[in-house]
Amino acid sequence: MNAAPAPAPDGVRRPRLAWLRVSRFELKIALALVFAATFPLLGALYLASRLAEENLELGLNPRVVERLESIPTLYRDLFQARKQLYAQQAKDIAMGLPRDPARGPAYLAAAVSRTPRLRRAVWTGPDGRVLAQVETDQPNPEGEWRDVPARVTLPRGGLLESTFAIEARFFAELDDARELAEAVRDADRIRAGIRRGYVRSFGALLLAWAVVAAVLGTLLARVTTRRVSRLVDAVRKLAAGDLSVQVDPGRSSDEVAGLARAFNAMVREVKESRDRIVYLEKISGWQEVARRLAHEIKNPLTPIQLAFQQLEARWASSPADDPAFEKLLREAGEIVRDEIGTLQRLVADFSAFAKLPEVKPEPGDLAEFVDDFVRTSPQIGEAADVEVSRGAGAVPVAIDRTLMRRVLANLAANAIDAARPGRARIHLGVARGRDRAVLTVADEGPGIERDLRERIFDPYFTTKNDGTGLGLAIVKKIVLQHGGEIQAGERPGGGASFTIALPVS
Amino acid sequence: MSRSAARPRPGAFLAAAALLAAHGAAAAEPLAAAISVRGGRLVASLDLSSAFPPQSERTFGNGLTNVVALHVTLAAPGEPPAALTGRVIDILFDVWDETYAVTTREPNAPGGVRTVLPDYAALRAFLAYPRDVDLGPASSLPQGSFVVEARVDVNPVSQELLERTREFIANPSATQRPGGSRSVLGAMASFLLREPETGGGVHVFRSRPMAPAEVTGR
Repeated sequence: MNAAPAPAPDGVRRPRLAWLRVSRFELKIALALVFAATFPLLGALYLASRLAEENLELGLNPRVVERLESIPTLYRDLFQARKQLYAQQAKDIAMGLPRDPARGPAYLAAAVSRTPRLRRAVWTGPDGRVLAQVETDQPNPEGEWRDVPARVTLPRGGLLESTFAIEARFFAELDDARELAEAVRDADRIRAGIRRGYVRSFGALLLAWAVVAAVLGTLLARVTTRRVSRLVDAVRKLAAGDLSVQVDPGRSSDEVAGLARAFNAMVREVKESRDRIVYLEKISGWQEVARRLAHEIKNPLTPIQLAFQQLEARWASSPADDPAFEKLLREAGEIVRDEIGTLQRLVADFSAFAKLPEVKPEPGDLAEFVDDFVRTSPQIGEAADVEVSRGAGAVPVAIDRTLMRRVLANLAANAIDAARPGRARIHLGVARGRDRAVLTVADEGPGIERDLRERIFDPYFTTKNDGTGLGLAIVKKIVLQHGGEIQAGERPGGGASFTIALPVS
Repeated sequence: MSRSAARPRPGAFLAAAALLAAHGAAAAEPLAAAISVRGGRLVASLDLSSAFPPQSERTFGNGLTNVVALHVTLAAPGEPPAALTGRVIDILFDVWDETYAVTTREPNAPGGVRTVLPDYAALRAFLAYPRDVDLGPASSLPQGSFVVEARVDVNPVSQELLERTREFIANPSATQRPGGSRSVLGAMASFLLREPETGGGVHVFRSRPMAPAEVTGR
């Protein structure tokens, strides 16, 4: 939305970064948006702090940490129990060893077979010689395993070395448990730092979010506030007397755009009203001049006319015969009568202009009025071809039919004069806008020069040799008194065109 | 689990020195320290037993990796440290073998030296009475009296721990869902978890003022 016209009044170029300037209104809106965007986040930050604390309480519950840390001890107990069991089993097997080493392999085979997890048994004599050795070839039902040797010194000398199996998964599980326990223990030791890290990161994310929201909000606000600021600028220009100012409402259909359109309409209305008042005041002044001129010219005309008539009568009754003087008197008489006639017509026009009656509008249909005018104005039909075009539907207006007939008559007379010596073609058009009725009077004459289109409505301005320059002034005054406007333009295809806009009643 | 323990770094020494200065609350008893010169190097033997009471077995024998960071400085009173060193000890109690696997990292052994100690008594002796702590060249010994200060951090919040925790909170479900997407909040929280914090088990020791004459082997 731009205020037009836009050139800087002092001719100074605007700085390149002028768009960065923030008006108070923009600042207030932006601050409100930033506040709205960030204030709820403060609560969220507090909640996040609590949430982090409670999560840490849950995740780093002292009982959980303690239990995790105790897992290796549990495995230690398990391993000790296994070791004791295996030692006892090895001792039991050693107690039952036969005296005859030859029966050793069978005994050990039976022992390996019946003792769970016993993989191998080796009986060594006091001299270190292996007396019997048995090893199972069955796979361990509990999967991967590690050797657990158990040695028993025999009372009669020698050694029984039994090798048991312990599940290898225990050690893998122990490593996993220890890794987890150490991680949790470490986290527990820097729990305050973790909480602080979470809160800070949450705060940083919220801050970033708030900044993004604030920037976007400010940009969005600026779209609106800038338009309001331009409206304010336009109002200031209007207050300074610039009635040409207009504001671009843009393509939006929101309230600000509506305000801009209303502002533009208001400015146009004010300008039209001012122009109307100025013109009517000007016309009023010229009417006074016309009244005085008419009075001043009219008064001496009658004595001049009477005096010359008396001069002619006396000459006619005089006995003297002077042909030369008679001729001179006759020619002078013709001149005096012509000029007096001209002056009388001028006085009549001045008087008519000075005594224009007040408009007394009555409801009517503009199209019907135009039809009536054409039908009841045969003198126009004799001098010109008149064509009337009208849209469908009624065109209700409030007009003074007598004065509006004068308007049409003047405009038609101008069209006829403009077409001379040819026959004029006059196009009358009636149309209805949303709140305006439009009456168009166009001809196919030479048209009106662009530079003269405003001046032709000034009183006593004429382009004709014998014109008084009052016809179009009278037309405009009547139109303005109807609350309407009149504009001179160009007819498409050539010729002059007068457009009269009247308020729809 | 392969745990990467904190490695001593020169920057860490300076930070430790600053922390030593900041932690004025030393133990009530003066630190028993013996300084000697061996092979042109200043070496210290310390008594840190009050930092490792017998009941610490519960801590060090819990089957989890525990870390002890030891920083030692030698400085003239009111002066910046003339000599300093750091030692980081990873301790893991093997619940199957029931032994203590100890890995010690020092500036002269950044890869670590692994030792297996049979029981807590041996571990406590190892931790409480560190021997041959290399403080640097003998020339750095102050001319006048000096004080030996030691700071013991049990399970300190190291940069490595922060890194690991950062990874954990940035991608907590990584172990369940390999390649799972990281949450923005977790990633940011991980990013903002920057400042190491002082752990709970911090012990600061300060010796009585010692004279250069007390340094043996000169």
